[in-house]
Amino acid sequence: MCGIALTAECIYFVSDPHGLYPLLEATENNDIYAAAWIGIFVGFALFALSILGIIGIIKSDRTLLLVYIILMLITFAFEMASCITAATHRDFFTPNLFLKQMLEKYQKTEPANDNDKWMIEGVTKTWNKLMLQNHCCGVLGPSDWQEYTSAFRDTHNDADYPWPRQCCAMNAQGIPINLDGCKLGVPGYYNSNGCYDAISGPVNTHAWGVAWFGFAILCWTFCVLLGTMFYWSGIEY
Amino acid sequence: MCSSWVVVLFCCLGQLCADQSLKPQIAAPEFAMNNPTLTTVALEKPFCVFDSSLHPNKSYLIYLYAMQESASAMSSLVADGSSRPLDSTFQQTNGGQLGPYKAAAFHVPSCASPPRLVDAGDVSKVSDVLKQYLFRVGDDGTCLYDPNFLDVCNPPLAPDTTYRFKYVLIDSTEGIVKDQTLWSDPIKTRRVKLPSQVDTWPGRRSGAMIVITSILSVLLFLLLAGILAAVSLAVMRPEGPSAETRCSPQTTQPSDPRPQLGSE
Repeated sequence: MCGIALTAECIYFVSDPHGLYPLLEATENNDIYAAAWIGIFVGFALFALSILGIIGIIKSDRTLLLVYIILMLITFAFEMASCITAATHRDFFTPNLFLKQMLEKYQKTEPANDNDKWMIEGVTKTWNKLMLQNHCCGVLGPSDWQEYTSAFRDTHNDADYPWPRQCCAMNAQGIPINLDGCKLGVPGYYNSNGCYDAISGPVNTHAWGVAWFGFAILCWTFCVLLGTMFYWSGIEY
Repeated sequence: MCSSWVVVLFCCLGQLCADQSLKPQIAAPEFAMNNPTLTTVALEKPFCVFDSSLHPNKSYLIYLYAMQESASAMSSLVADGSSRPLDSTFQQTNGGQLGPYKAAAFHVPSCASPPRLVDAGDVSKVSDVLKQYLFRVGDDGTCLYDPNFLDVCNPPLAPDTTYRFKYVLIDSTEGIVKDQTLWSDPIKTRRVKLPSQVDTWPGRRSGAMIVITSILSVLLFLLLAGILAAVSLAVMRPEGPSAETRCSPQTTQPSDPRPQLGSE
């Protein structure tokens, strides 16, 4: 049962409902996704092995139970790796990481190579969607665009574009309500809060979900395996 | 006492009575939050500043002059000897480095009915409020490169530079300077940092990660120890039944002589 639950949870995370995967891919630190993929397969393996274990206990077969214990140990090790990976790499997601990535990649016009081009497209599309849907601007605020020079600043001059157009408050047609108000920073005509909460919320849920749920399953698996070992050593030939 | 009389004398002689207390002000920070930016500065228009010099039947214009603070040592005059305003452009003064340049020309803002800033919340009125209340120096990014542009060019300013501004009242029919404000306080445009200066070091490890790693490692170790113990027990136990068969002949031997003793 635990196995199925783990598989379901990890499939949910891998499907990336919030569309933040391109940002993580561009940081070249998408190991929490690797952790989720491992979680899918481990969950399925746990489910299959539990059927094997139940059969072994019903038949009281020593060989079958030994195979079960060894395979479960391997699965345990994989799940342990997945949990530790998710927990460790979640620590890397500071606001500064996303800030640097946004400044260097958003709307950059001269990609260094194909991989860079792929990452630039991903980052640009993700940020545009983020800023429009969550009514936010930049990582910590629109001042990010003013305090730092960026790839965006290289192609858009400060007088016309102090920040991207997506930071302006939009009407129903997707056009800024008042462009001058947006450029000057008149309250109500631009998005004044940062997008970090909208990014870190789902990413944290993902990482902690994989890590802690896996941890809980492993604790339970530990007890089950100890019990199985005692039972195995008690079986007479 | 003496010095104030001298000042009044000079004022009347030159007909250039500078208003002693009024300078161009930057637009209200709670209204225009993004100010000054890298290349622009938004200034309040001069409301009720020149009203003492206005005659009811004449038409007036206000010119805005901008210069870099470093130029004030060289020349900060906006009019020549015959009170005609300086016609310098951004290119001629090298962006304000050599002296003041004319950045704007607009009508005198109405003192009787100034724009209400609270109206900025209304979408239909906000454009008018912005236009009447402030002027953005550096707004036009294209006029420098447009050969057909004939109006007063207001190109973007230089980043990380201190500028000073002055409003001048011009009589449009005679074309002479009637009044001017003092040079504003120095206003500095923003300075930028490079994105490579952003520090992405995550800092110390979070407590949760340490807990997960340590507990899981201990559990795995216990499991491995358990499996080793179980396997070694299983390996040692097959010797058990052979020890019992060795014991049994000894237990039967002492029982044999006893019945013989009993029968004697």
